[in-house]
Amino acid sequence: MAQEASSSTSSKTISLKTGDGEIFEIEASAAKQMKTVQRLIDDLGDDITIPLHNVFSKELPKIIEYYKKDITGEITKDFEAEFVKDLNDDEVKVLFLAANYLDANKLFEFLSQNIADRLESKSVEYVRKYFGVENDFTPEEESKLREERAWSFRGIKEDE
Amino acid sequence: MRNNIAKGGNSMEMKILYLPHELIIQILLRLPVKSLIRFKCICKSWFSLISDPRFAKTHFELTTAHTDRILFITSTPEIRSIDLEASLNDDSAFTSPNLNFLLPRSYSDLEIKGSCRGFIVLCCSSNIYLWNPSTGVHKQIPLPPFGSNLDANYFFGFGYDHSKDDYLVVSMCDDPNSATFLSHLEFFSLRANTWKEIECTTSTHFPYMNACDDPRVGCLFNGAIYWMAFRHDISRNVIVGFDLMERKLLDLQFPDDFDHEPTNCGLWVYGEFLSLWAIDYYENDTVEIWVMKEYKVNSSWAKTLVLSIDDIPTQYFSPLCSTKSGDIIETDGVTGLVKYNNKGQLLEHRSYCNNASISEVALYSESLLSLPDANEQA
Repeated sequence: MAQEASSSTSSKTISLKTGDGEIFEIEASAAKQMKTVQRLIDDLGDDITIPLHNVFSKELPKIIEYYKKDITGEITKDFEAEFVKDLNDDEVKVLFLAANYLDANKLFEFLSQNIADRLESKSVEYVRKYFGVENDFTPEEESKLREERAWSFRGIKEDE
Repeated sequence: MRNNIAKGGNSMEMKILYLPHELIIQILLRLPVKSLIRFKCICKSWFSLISDPRFAKTHFELTTAHTDRILFITSTPEIRSIDLEASLNDDSAFTSPNLNFLLPRSYSDLEIKGSCRGFIVLCCSSNIYLWNPSTGVHKQIPLPPFGSNLDANYFFGFGYDHSKDDYLVVSMCDDPNSATFLSHLEFFSLRANTWKEIECTTSTHFPYMNACDDPRVGCLFNGAIYWMAFRHDISRNVIVGFDLMERKLLDLQFPDDFDHEPTNCGLWVYGEFLSLWAIDYYENDTVEIWVMKEYKVNSSWAKTLVLSIDDIPTQYFSPLCSTKSGDIIETDGVTGLVKYNNKGQLLEHRSYCNNASISEVALYSESLLSLPDANEQA
């Protein structure tokens, strides 16, 4: 009797453990899309629960949801719009960092663009806060810079 | 591997998550020019990053679809830049780039002679400038040795050589010191910072003359600049192109059943195709639009659109560009712009001046790109 190939990935699931101790299952073919996960599987084997110290139970299900859709080829613009619709800017940032850590390229590119779209019309203050960047210009320097490129401030609400 | 610090599994308290520099760049590369220019004010390292020519190049080349705008200069003088994709009547997003680097004067003798990768070529009072309206970067370039009389230049164009990351200004003109017709082909390389003449290898001089009564701006398409020309050696009108990489001339033919005088025609880019428009005032009162369906295949010219002159508000037709959805935008020849859909139906007509007229119009891309040794401003 022919033996089932032990490397068949069609129905195999991998267990992932988040930094806060929760365990989630993901199909092996979806795990392949996250290079960090795949590297850990290559090192530790696919029967072990893979530890993901820097990803937490809030984000991982969402990422799994994305790649579940990806392996069936169902990612559309509508799906992506729906995917981020209810996330606020900080939540998207967390997801973006997780996608980076997991080396999940497709999700990473999508979220890069989504964050850019969210920040496009934001004020300088908002973007500073968002990235935790300190303003190291003097008030005089900053006011000169703003004046020189006043046209780029047109239509931008300063308190948003 | 790029590791970040994502502390806090407690979702109640959202501490500031600091993105590493290389991740911030990934986001910045996807922002439009206007936002990036504004974000130069965020802090010194962002100012440096966004001003870095390598960032500008990566940013420009990452976007396959650039944000294109239309710049026009009125006789008031006023300079206005509008979003190509917006309604002509939408005034919320127009900008007014300034040309303060030019000596104060009316812009009546200012001409736009080309546009490429965010730079516009301006000729004003016998001077040539390259200017990026988005950043204010500008550079004056010397006049061509033979073609120093810019009015006598009949082939003039501007383009980019990908293979050398170089910008070229091209000029072909009649020799001012000769009684008989002798043409000189010269180009200016930004990197070499000098004009150079190209010798004709097949005869003593190139056989091309302007096919129109008035000098026309070259049409930049697929790495070459095209003009309508008359070849006096074969007594035929051709479309002559200057290949920016090979730095050589090449010929394309007009369509076979194309029965129009070049003076009533023009070259432009329609969507992804090199295109010819022609106004027939005499027989049919129509405007025809032809496209070269397969680039460099002369037999692939096809007439794709015919408009009735009666459907054109000012009976003047000079298309500039097409939008993402295939609408055609053109100048009305006096004070404004007109938009048609891809079936030739009039969509919008907007006049931008009251007691003035539009003297120059050009299509350009938004870019942060700079030129070697240019004067940085934004």
